Amino acid sequence: MNDRMGAWRRRHVLGGFIGLAALGAPAILRAAPSGQPVKVGGTLSLTGFLAQTAVIHKIAAEIMIEDINSRNGFLGRPVEYVLLDDQSKPDVARSLYEKLITVDKVDLIMGPYATAPILAAMGVAQRYGKVMIQSSMGIPNLQTYDMAFPATPFGPEPDKTYPNVILDAMASLPTPPKSMVIVTSKFPSAQFMAKGMRIEAEKRGVKVPLYLEYEAGNRDFGAIAARVKEANADFLWVGSLGLESNQLLEALRKLDYTPKTSFHLYPAPGPLALSPDGNLVWCSTFLEPDEPFMSRPGMKKIAELYKERATKANLPYAIIDAQAAGMVAAWQILEAGVNGAKTLEDKQIAAWLKKNVVTTVYGPTKFDGLYNHGEPAQLIRQVQDKQWKVVWPKQFVAPGVKLIPT
Amino acid sequence: MPSATLLGQALISGVLAGGMYGLLALGLSLSWGLLRLVNLSHFALAFLAAYLTYELGTTYHVAPWWAAAMIVPVMFLIGIAQHWLFDKFKVNELASLLITFSFAVILEVAIQLYWTADYRRFETHYSTMSIKAGPFYIPVLELALCMVAGVLAWGTWLWLRKTYVGKALRAAAEDADIAAAYGVDHKKLAYLLSGMGAAYAAIAGTFIALIATLAPTQIWAWLGVVFAVVIIGRLGNPLGALLAGMLIGASESIAMAVFEPAWAPVVSFSVLIAILLWDPEWL
Amino acid sequence: MAVNAARDLPKAVAAIAIVALAFLPMAKMPAFYESFIYLIFFWVSLSTSWALLSGFAGYFSLGHAAFFGVGVYATAALTTKFGVPFLMTVPIAAVLAALLAAGIGAVVFRLRRLRGELFALLTLAVTFVIATIILNTPIDGGGGVFMSAVPLPHLMPTQTGTIYILGFAMCVLTLATAWWVAHSRLGLGLFAIHDDEDVAEAKGVPTFRYKIAAFALSAAIAGAVGGIHAMYVGFITVAGTFELTVGLYVVLMSVLGGARHWLGPAIGATAITALLYAFISGGEAIMGRAIVGLILIAAILWLPDGVIPAIQGWLKRRRAAPVTTRAEVVPVVPTTAPQISERSILQVRGVTKRFGGLQALAGVDLDVREGEIFGLVGPNGSGKTTLINVISGFYPLTSGTITLDGAEIGRDPAHEIARRGVARTYQIPRPFVNMTVLDNVALCATFGGPARSQAEIRDEAMHWIGFTGLGGKEDVLPAGLNLHERKFLELARALAARPKLLLLDEVLSGLNPTEIDNAIRLVRAIRAQGATIIFVEHLMRAVVELSDRVAVLNEGKLFALGAPREVMRDPRVVSIYLGKAYAA
Repeated sequence: MNDRMGAWRRRHVLGGFIGLAALGAPAILRAAPSGQPVKVGGTLSLTGFLAQTAVIHKIAAEIMIEDINSRNGFLGRPVEYVLLDDQSKPDVARSLYEKLITVDKVDLIMGPYATAPILAAMGVAQRYGKVMIQSSMGIPNLQTYDMAFPATPFGPEPDKTYPNVILDAMASLPTPPKSMVIVTSKFPSAQFMAKGMRIEAEKRGVKVPLYLEYEAGNRDFGAIAARVKEANADFLWVGSLGLESNQLLEALRKLDYTPKTSFHLYPAPGPLALSPDGNLVWCSTFLEPDEPFMSRPGMKKIAELYKERATKANLPYAIIDAQAAGMVAAWQILEAGVNGAKTLEDKQIAAWLKKNVVTTVYGPTKFDGLYNHGEPAQLIRQVQDKQWKVVWPKQFVAPGVKLIPT
Repeated sequence: MPSATLLGQALISGVLAGGMYGLLALGLSLSWGLLRLVNLSHFALAFLAAYLTYELGTTYHVAPWWAAAMIVPVMFLIGIAQHWLFDKFKVNELASLLITFSFAVILEVAIQLYWTADYRRFETHYSTMSIKAGPFYIPVLELALCMVAGVLAWGTWLWLRKTYVGKALRAAAEDADIAAAYGVDHKKLAYLLSGMGAAYAAIAGTFIALIATLAPTQIWAWLGVVFAVVIIGRLGNPLGALLAGMLIGASESIAMAVFEPAWAPVVSFSVLIAILLWDPEWL
Repeated sequence: MAVNAARDLPKAVAAIAIVALAFLPMAKMPAFYESFIYLIFFWVSLSTSWALLSGFAGYFSLGHAAFFGVGVYATAALTTKFGVPFLMTVPIAAVLAALLAAGIGAVVFRLRRLRGELFALLTLAVTFVIATIILNTPIDGGGGVFMSAVPLPHLMPTQTGTIYILGFAMCVLTLATAWWVAHSRLGLGLFAIHDDEDVAEAKGVPTFRYKIAAFALSAAIAGAVGGIHAMYVGFITVAGTFELTVGLYVVLMSVLGGARHWLGPAIGATAITALLYAFISGGEAIMGRAIVGLILIAAILWLPDGVIPAIQGWLKRRRAAPVTTRAEVVPVVPTTAPQISERSILQVRGVTKRFGGLQALAGVDLDVREGEIFGLVGPNGSGKTTLINVISGFYPLTSGTITLDGAEIGRDPAHEIARRGVARTYQIPRPFVNMTVLDNVALCATFGGPARSQAEIRDEAMHWIGFTGLGGKEDVLPAGLNLHERKFLELARALAARPKLLLLDEVLSGLNPTEIDNAIRLVRAIRAQGATIIFVEHLMRAVVELSDRVAVLNEGKLFALGAPREVMRDPRVVSIYLGKAYAA
């Protein structure tokens, strides 16, 4: 009897320990030791239906922590990233940020990616007065917390500004398109831009004969392609995510139709560049591993490291682009904020960030505008010889590269 | 009002795209209808096969049909192994759903560990080929898919309908004890059927690699619509599954051609609801 | 005393736990624990509400996310677009979800066929339809609903504390509801529906109403839970709300804990939620998911009925001697001369029943007198069992009238007929397989007879268990009975309803001669208590011995009627039986 009780107790105590260890000891990323580490907590959607780009963010963050620690760390102390998995669920993200702040007692937090987890984390950050830097929220007006800072220069109203960048590029073509078909996924950030595109296009006299919204994750593009073909506009604007652009372009090719010029919002960059249908298509970006971006401080090394690690992680597209660069910029902003304000106090860091210009891989970045955004710097890239090249606006175009009309 | 060309094209695309629903539904319908096992991991096995086709094709330049020839036997064995577990533990319908759900999660993890969660695309020149027929275009790959699905469905249907094996299986599905009394070796047939189900998943997977998006979470993207197809086509009826797949594919496609495309799921699932309530004799 | 203490201990523990959990937000512990426990409450409420219909009544749904989602969007839309205070939206969310469920139920539950996988698929389809409608209408429109500007009442010092206490209240309410249902008439009826819906209806369970009630209750809770959860999540999207895996996890949790027990889903939900949080750290998240999958597979393989039934089974085996009161075996009294009145209790006029092209009953007229034993015989396919099924309301009439005690019952649902005092047995016994003998009989007393207290129903059930010689088998499941005992269980169940009219469908078939003698004595004793009996029988010895009058059916028509010996000697009757009857 005693023996059995003993075994029972042992098992339970052991179980309890395993449980506690799992809850209390997240993976600690190695840091160069020089004093008590500064803990920065954050989540990424490592599993679940948003997991496609998690590894990209993780690699970028790891590179940045090594980079920061190879210099001065935060205020001379090493940085440690306490990374948790929010399982692509906003409710889990919320609870994990609460854990990071109230249980793990991290010094600072780093935002997750994708709109829903970011907003879940933002609510927690707001309640605990933490500075939150996020890398990838495409709907700036949702960022209502005054100590949340965007790392990616969407600008406060990308649905108004970015369509005009596209329209400017269109106007620069030898025969400017006069009509535009808009096809978009009903994914919140894509739909947000598509609606803006429609309004701005019509404002500038570009007709929109067809505007279609499809369910995110649509499987068959045959019928949509038939409608696009029938509308036969001068320009095709696709609010796509993942492989939706590949699928739509293939479906169009099956109908023996190639859109004259097409733009794609947030596609998976590798597959689209490599697709025969992807040649010369346009796409949104903020940065490519090319001039002038490579001349920005630290960029060359980061791009190399990223390529090496992404290849090792078996990622299909190992070239740094806006997805990874957003995470890089987020850490650069946090580093600048901490070391600039010379404190780990969130309020002072936020105040410092609002007053100063931070140089990130995206260039000089300010946070003094609406929703803490600075100037928009959303660019256009084009597939040329199966590679992405920034082609618009002109000041960001590498020497020898130009927008190729189709 | 959409033009006749548009409608006709949407119908062709839809029917052929529905072939994929039918092909995925085939194996599921067999195990559900004849073994009373709901195999959610069917989708995971199909995606595992798709990733293997992708890997063989991109890394080793193996043509998709050779890839299928290698993968199908492996999947057949996996199907048998799975059934060994169900048989050993005498798993019922509900438990089979939950176990295979967990199994699908494990396969999803396995895929993510090796291929990452990032999107993959198997680029082949088949994916954009089509035949011109009057004003319409018939995509070659989907046509091939439908032909393969048709052969499999027809063959399986004949096998179930005309042979002793099929009769025995159907008898066993009605009442395993009575069938056993007539000397039907239900157990061996069940293993065969499970293996076949997994093999069909592998064939569907090869086409998924050529046609659809590859990402681990895509395992779950097909579930709802294929379940609808399995039910509309009548459990355990391979030809029904294929026809139901084409019906759903066509109705979705026509809906996308006429209305806002995002409304399409309402059409396919309303068809299911209507058929369930209407209660036709073939259900 | 000791027994009382043992019985009160769980209650005391539960009370202490409830108070402790209620005051937890005051303890100023880290918000994460409040959040984490809130999420447990959330899953407990959701999976318990699923079990109300799907676990208790066996109507397995894959579409619980639909009702949860309707709740989420009711709160999201009402608070952000119409400025309705958050707390007010929660009951509205519950009502909307309940109305949706009742609407679906009103259509679906009329169709006997839509059970099992068809019901599961239907609920899944409804989920997709609702999700698509919300996605494409201004309720969401595709952009998601952001709720940061919605004020949250200050029920607790912190925002998380407030949501915690709401989730807690919801969880307590849900568990209380589940407990109440499980121990009420409704629950009893649902458990019976789970095992055999047709029999439940025939025993007086208003199955249609009960299913709708359970569905609406289940949906209402899911809706309210959704309303609260909308506030917790803060940014609502269609893809996140109507996620397929929500419906699957709810099922998994309920089944793992034991879906037929009111507390089962709560245990499954707690275990799985904790398990999903065991591997959140960045380095092990992906492998962790696979480990969770493996654990779940193992759990379902080794505990197919769930944790609670496994524990109950273990406790039962561990107990030395079960303390149960045995029903006293009531001696079967020799009967006095029967009191047959001239008044007919049942009048059957021009009754026909068609199945497609098959005419099973082609205009039958019968009068059964109060207090008599009325034999119903005829060759196979002559319509005997169909007539029983029509009188008991299992089949609707095609035409004609059936009057019981002066009231027309021909078009009443079966449970109404049962309540009016008609009870039946089945040729092949159809006990409720997951209920003990005692519960089987008690259920029929509850739904069939006059309104009585719990104690009276138990006494009544015990009486009939003793009467039919099943004393000592009260706690046995039907699987533990032999055929003879099952037949007698059929009788006990019918008798517990105190029927005016008892329809016995071949109670003697398959019994050995001694058992038949017992049964014949029993039938006489039943009549002696004042019931009228119609009994269908092939065994002519019993028919002749027992019946006061015999009716012969042939090809759906009344062929002969009269005193047993005369009818059986009628050459026409002998010819339709080809003499086989007497040989039996």
